[in-house]
Amino acid sequence: MIAAPRLGRFRLSPEDRRNLRTALPFIAPWIIGFLAFTVYPIVYSLYLSFTHYTGFGDATAAGFDNYQHMVKDPLFWQSLSNTLYYAALAVPIGLVVAIALALMMNQNVREVAIYRAAFYLPSIIPLFALTFIFIVLLNPGFGLVDFLLERVGLPAVNWLGDARWTRISVVLLAQLGAGGPALIFLAALRAVPTELYESALLDGAGPLRRFYKITLPLITPVILFDLIYGTILGIQIFTPAYVLTGGTSGGGAYTAGPENSLLFFVYYLYKNAFQYSDMGYASALAWILFVISVLLALAIMRWSRYWVHYEAS
Amino acid sequence: MTLLPRRGLKASLISLVMVATACSSGGGQSAAPLPGCNSGTTQVLFWTSHTPPDTDSMKHTVDAFNKQSTTACVKMVAVPGSETDIAKLTTAVRGGTGPDVYELDRFTVAERAAAGVLTDLTPFGAANESANYLDFAWQEALFKGKPYALPFDTDARALFYNKDLMQAAGVDPNALDISKGAPTIDTVRTIANKLNKKDSSGKYTTVGFVPAISQGWHYTWGFAYGGSFFNASSCKVTPDDPKIVQAFKDMFWDWSSSLGVDQLQTFISTYAPTTPPLPTEQDAFLTGHIGMVITGPWVLSWFPQYQPNLHYGITYIPVPHQGDQSATWAGGWSVVIPKGAKNAKGGYEFMKYFAGEPGQRVYTKETQHMPTWKTLLTDSTLYQGDLKIFVQLLPTAHSRPALPVGSLYWDQLSTAQDAAIRHSKDPAAALKDAATATNDKLQQYCPLAS
Repeated sequence: MIAAPRLGRFRLSPEDRRNLRTALPFIAPWIIGFLAFTVYPIVYSLYLSFTHYTGFGDATAAGFDNYQHMVKDPLFWQSLSNTLYYAALAVPIGLVVAIALALMMNQNVREVAIYRAAFYLPSIIPLFALTFIFIVLLNPGFGLVDFLLERVGLPAVNWLGDARWTRISVVLLAQLGAGGPALIFLAALRAVPTELYESALLDGAGPLRRFYKITLPLITPVILFDLIYGTILGIQIFTPAYVLTGGTSGGGAYTAGPENSLLFFVYYLYKNAFQYSDMGYASALAWILFVISVLLALAIMRWSRYWVHYEAS
Repeated sequence: MTLLPRRGLKASLISLVMVATACSSGGGQSAAPLPGCNSGTTQVLFWTSHTPPDTDSMKHTVDAFNKQSTTACVKMVAVPGSETDIAKLTTAVRGGTGPDVYELDRFTVAERAAAGVLTDLTPFGAANESANYLDFAWQEALFKGKPYALPFDTDARALFYNKDLMQAAGVDPNALDISKGAPTIDTVRTIANKLNKKDSSGKYTTVGFVPAISQGWHYTWGFAYGGSFFNASSCKVTPDDPKIVQAFKDMFWDWSSSLGVDQLQTFISTYAPTTPPLPTEQDAFLTGHIGMVITGPWVLSWFPQYQPNLHYGITYIPVPHQGDQSATWAGGWSVVIPKGAKNAKGGYEFMKYFAGEPGQRVYTKETQHMPTWKTLLTDSTLYQGDLKIFVQLLPTAHSRPALPVGSLYWDQLSTAQDAAIRHSKDPAAALKDAATATNDKLQQYCPLAS
């Protein structure tokens, strides 16, 4: 019998210590970078969130002012609800699209390499450029999307000019980046043992049953990863809203989309920091976003106990 | 005692060198003068967020300055940014890599000075320049009574109308001739209704007039209705002034109702989107999709370039009642020295030239903006054709209150305007919200000594 490793105490042999001493300087650039560019800003932003600070001069202590202001700031609540609305749609839809793409990329056909490249391609186009293409496609007068909708007898939609549709437009736009997660799902699909499919086939299981009974349960760990990762990225949505609302171009709209419907949390944070010179409030917003991210990730982790299957267990 | 093993020592030295190299690259400015500069000059870095054709003209001034200066050599760089977005500037200044001179929207000078981004220009003797500039422009360059900017150009707003569209609809364009004084809003509405056109699917292809398109801002109609946006004695913004509320109701809420809220939005999204705006050559007025528009003198330089055959006229901004005094407002840009500028002295020398007589003369001539340099306003050789109309509007033009929360106020007013156009919130309630949010942030700066 092999003794289980002792996890309770962490002990280094003299050789381990020597190795550590040798290794530390090698990874020092990364450690220094991590401390200076990640840990320090995080700690500093926590401090700033309790101050009034323009980004210049001295920060003045403000106690819980910034957090109290948030409670009665209607734009804070609107940006939060816009963001959650977006994430609630974009994350599950993104998951389904990515799995569907992965299944297509996993077909046993000769040209599969070409399909894989074609499906993956949109996700490497910079989001900034992709958004501009999208604006043209969604024009209600001469855009391709409304042209097709009208062709099949559906009413045209004012995608970017109607507050009811703007966030859905961004959800659609996000699907063009599904190639990345699809690649991870593809790896998961390839890892499902083929003998399971073979025995299911012998037992007369059809393709749908094979998918629901074998494929889906075995890729649940990857689904969990994608859910958490997608949620964290989803609530940080910024670029499409920034570009769609005219961002830095003069003569822009000055509202974040119709009725501020594209005022996502990080966009509001950006406006406070760089347009209204209110770094204290922006830092407080960042910490609230962090707390929300952690809570969501924990909730998903807890929920995952009921549906994630690990092969080992 | 444990000494670092030799291998570790070497590795840490290598790491240090790598970090040091990574940190040192990119910093520092080259001392060699740029082409076109005189030897012995020091470099001045000038940032602007403008785009061509404005920057083409600015480049001419920069070149002319470099040719004659024996002390400074200006390098002009176009950077991202807008009237209210200076993210690039603030991060660069904090990082110690900011420019020596920056072009800043003048109505945000007080705001940026209050935030500590700008250098007080008093030590350079800027206060002596005040007599050279139009008073409203100079006032916008001050914060707590001290100069933080030198004013650059200015503008004004007026009603442009497309004579071809009017004639095609059987309307006599002479009805709007400027010699008849300011038209009433009712007159404009009657004409506009005759110009509206829809395609077979019921979508507008031409709309006579949309008050909110282009420069038909909250400020434009608020001033037109005689509203006041700020009360200096109470140090409070007053967007809920009943006159402004009325302006919002008439020009945004009711105008949308008559055209159809959703139909109007579809028209705007198609032909005049702000998210983001179309290229100039596709401007809705130039392409004949709107019959009348409130805009500024810079459009005059677009006609010969993009639509030389368009027959247009210009008149005053419409008034609520016959005989009312027409109101317009003037904005414009300025040049500032951000904190931490490495060559502030050279920067100021350039600013005096750029925002002074020589620079403003070139810019007025080439871009059809108007100068804030007083003596240039009386130089009739500078103003060809319709630009003269705008010069005549200037003496009575309003300007936006120069507040330390100017861009927040602008955004709040825009949100209320958007809500009124889309009927998502009653104008009175929306403007009250704007007042509450802005005053909340303004109080920390009160009283505003000027």
